[in-house]
Amino acid sequence: MATTDKEVNELIKREYEHGFVTEIEADTFEPGLNEDIIARLSAIKNEPEWMLEWRLKAYRRWLEMEEPDWAHVGYPKIDYNSISYYSAPKRKEDMPQSLDEVDPELLKTYEKLGIPLHEREKLAGVAVDAVFDSVSVATTFKEPLAKAGVIFCSISEAIRDYPELVQKYLGTVVPHGDNFFAGLNSAVFSDGTFVYVPKGVRCPMELSTYFRINAANTGQFERTLIIADEGSYVSYLEGCTAPMRDENQLHAAVVELVALDDAQIKYSTVQNWYPGDEEGKGGIYNFVTKRGACIGKNSKISWTQVETGSAVTWKYPSCVLRGENSVGEFYSVALTHNYQQADTGTKMIHLGKNTRSTIISKGISAGKSSNAYRGLVKFGPGAEGARNFTQCDSLLIGDRCGAHTFPYIESKNKSAIVEHEATTSKVSDEQMFLCRQRGIDPEQAVSMIVNGFCKEVFKELPMEFAVEAGKLLEVSLEGSVG
Amino acid sequence: MKPAPTLSTAFLESAGQSLPKPLLDLRKQRGTALVDMPLPTRKTENWKYSSKYLKLTEDMASPLPSQGQGMTGQDVPGYRIVFLNGVIQPEASEFPQAAGIQVTSFRDLDDEEAEALAGQLDSTLDDKAVQLARLNAARFEDGLLIRLKPDAVLDQPLFVIHEVTADASGSAFPRIFVDAGRHSQATLVEEYRSSGSEPVMVNTVAEFNLADGANITNVRLTMEGDNVQHIGATGVRQQRNARFESHTVGFGGPLRRHDLQVRLEGEGGECKLNGVVVTQGKQHFDNHTTIEHVAAHCNSEETYRNIAADQSHAVFNGRIHIHQDAQNSNADMNNKNLLLSNGAEIDTKPELEIYADDVKCAHGATIGQLDEVSLFYLVSRGIARREANVLLTMAFINELVEQIPLETVRETAHTRLNQFFDQTFQEV
Repeated sequence: MATTDKEVNELIKREYEHGFVTEIEADTFEPGLNEDIIARLSAIKNEPEWMLEWRLKAYRRWLEMEEPDWAHVGYPKIDYNSISYYSAPKRKEDMPQSLDEVDPELLKTYEKLGIPLHEREKLAGVAVDAVFDSVSVATTFKEPLAKAGVIFCSISEAIRDYPELVQKYLGTVVPHGDNFFAGLNSAVFSDGTFVYVPKGVRCPMELSTYFRINAANTGQFERTLIIADEGSYVSYLEGCTAPMRDENQLHAAVVELVALDDAQIKYSTVQNWYPGDEEGKGGIYNFVTKRGACIGKNSKISWTQVETGSAVTWKYPSCVLRGENSVGEFYSVALTHNYQQADTGTKMIHLGKNTRSTIISKGISAGKSSNAYRGLVKFGPGAEGARNFTQCDSLLIGDRCGAHTFPYIESKNKSAIVEHEATTSKVSDEQMFLCRQRGIDPEQAVSMIVNGFCKEVFKELPMEFAVEAGKLLEVSLEGSVG
Repeated sequence: MKPAPTLSTAFLESAGQSLPKPLLDLRKQRGTALVDMPLPTRKTENWKYSSKYLKLTEDMASPLPSQGQGMTGQDVPGYRIVFLNGVIQPEASEFPQAAGIQVTSFRDLDDEEAEALAGQLDSTLDDKAVQLARLNAARFEDGLLIRLKPDAVLDQPLFVIHEVTADASGSAFPRIFVDAGRHSQATLVEEYRSSGSEPVMVNTVAEFNLADGANITNVRLTMEGDNVQHIGATGVRQQRNARFESHTVGFGGPLRRHDLQVRLEGEGGECKLNGVVVTQGKQHFDNHTTIEHVAAHCNSEETYRNIAADQSHAVFNGRIHIHQDAQNSNADMNNKNLLLSNGAEIDTKPELEIYADDVKCAHGATIGQLDEVSLFYLVSRGIARREANVLLTMAFINELVEQIPLETVRETAHTRLNQFFDQTFQEV
């Protein structure tokens, strides 16, 4: 998801009350979408001819597509012609000049999450000196990455500098005709991340958008492409636990992962976008297509996500298990509060022999929110000896929220085995009583119980992320009891 | 985008005028409502896996003859109602005569009774979900009305034999409405059979309206031939402390679709739904069930088992919907599937939709093949491999077959199952 390290949600609550507000600046496109706009966008980004054609092809296809309505979410119809599809980064003068100008509520949240001081500035959109940033970043990780031969840059750079790689893999996992939002993204994607890990290389560090210098202003249509060549390994972290300011209401990102023989990709997401206020007004619409292709033998793709933000989430990180013995994993915690709606899950498509997948999904709904797991496990005729295990558990906090499970299971191979389990429960009075009797206040007790419920997923996260995620749940659940 | 194909108007023309006027009016009104009804496609969520099997040709729009040969119901002892191509055959039937129990053909109702019935028909079904079964209300030529007065108990099970004679293409639209008064009890067995080999459609609806404390058991055997497309819907509404039990045993066909919708509207309601489906060759079977927990303190228990052999296709979609105020609901759904061949396909979707927090809900689903270890155990003890296959497959579903409360029905099911085993498992 786009990590637009800008001011924060609470700051802009007032703006959101009036719906879709985009300040038109001189270097922002007028709202609307047509082939001209796409050509201009492509020109500004200095893209080669083939990229423009690719975008236009996607656009023409998108025009024929229909917006999906099967998800268990409701939102007012989006007018795609009222969106501006390009806006230049904000000028420094418009940003708050120091932390003193930032909403104190927000600072409190940072405090609770234990975010280091200089990072708070960046997150709150304070005009930080870019030099300080790039120096620290360059010295800490640019060098070792370059030494290992890992390419880690923005997708715009990659289109210019590594056109063969981009052309070879872009759109192979999520073709532009895949779905409505992926089509839109293919036509107008603003920027994103490109990672290539060469043969046999174990990426020397966890890659993260958060620390990438040009991560700011990736915009609302982010595109990520990660390629792990034979025998390589990469762990990629996306998003961050701190609430981030974002001016775009609609986000339609596409993430493509490609794992060749014996390669492994671990993709972790923590998403905490503006969920709208307590009445459910405003908030980000997060419509994301994430898919990984295990093309090679013995390859592995693992998705871990912690979703607490966004007003509407529509997201199904998937694995296409094509290579023999390839492995797909999906670990998810989705928490919804107030009027948030989430329809999220995964697809595990088993095509190769002895492919295996595991799905662990934990949904927590509080307030008046709605939280749905929607998953597909599919065994093709060639998925000899394939295996899937799915567990999806829901926890309800309060009696006005909803928790739903929509698992699709399709099998065309008799030797494939699938097991699916789902349970729904609430934070029981006994558990609460036990905690309270020992002097733990109700809010902390709920947080403990919820953290225990999510433990299986948190242990998949990189260590520092896991600690933050735990705190994030605590903050997000504030006010849900008592 | 190509516009979705719509139902041919030929299907909306009903010929027979033998029903009382209020029902004719209702039928006409329902027919008008269905003009331009889009047919389900692959994009229609609840027909996703089955729309490709639906083949409604123009010549299937005509009604099948309501009299003629067939009437094979005589082999069934006790109370029985024989429908031939959707029309009750009084001479072949054995109507129960008991105090407090009315069992009548729709055709024999006076206007007042028909008026009352017209207000009740389709009240147990969710129009949007059943789709094609709505056609029944626009086309039925006859129907069976069962009204049980409070505390009435039907002393023997009532068999309803639905027979179609497929000597020419056409459709039949049988219909049953059961209105069970307070604390009444009855067991109703529906058996679907066919003769002939022309392509035909059976479009059938059964409705059960259960007042407080009523106790109804419904057994449903789908055993038509490979030329019969079967589209059926069963709707159930339960008031306080009412209990409904359903046992379905289904054998595949070119298209088999059954929607079972249960609404638990009063506290203390209970339902138990068991289902067994067996498909072979190029057959298809699709079971869609919905249990709506509208009131608090209700229990539901659902167990479905599918077996798919050869190139056949079995579909299960179970939905449990716990409404906002349905606290203390208990719902348990379990679906297990056995794939016997690599050409076969099984699709299952056990859904939970929950809006109340103090509930106990669980569902489980599995798809797999016969366990190699168990097979080895049996074979190593001198049981022939074929026999071992049969034993294990039978064990997979017999738990449910044995729960059917009627010996004769169990026997019928076993006979058909044995045929299935003979065709599926070859001697090695």
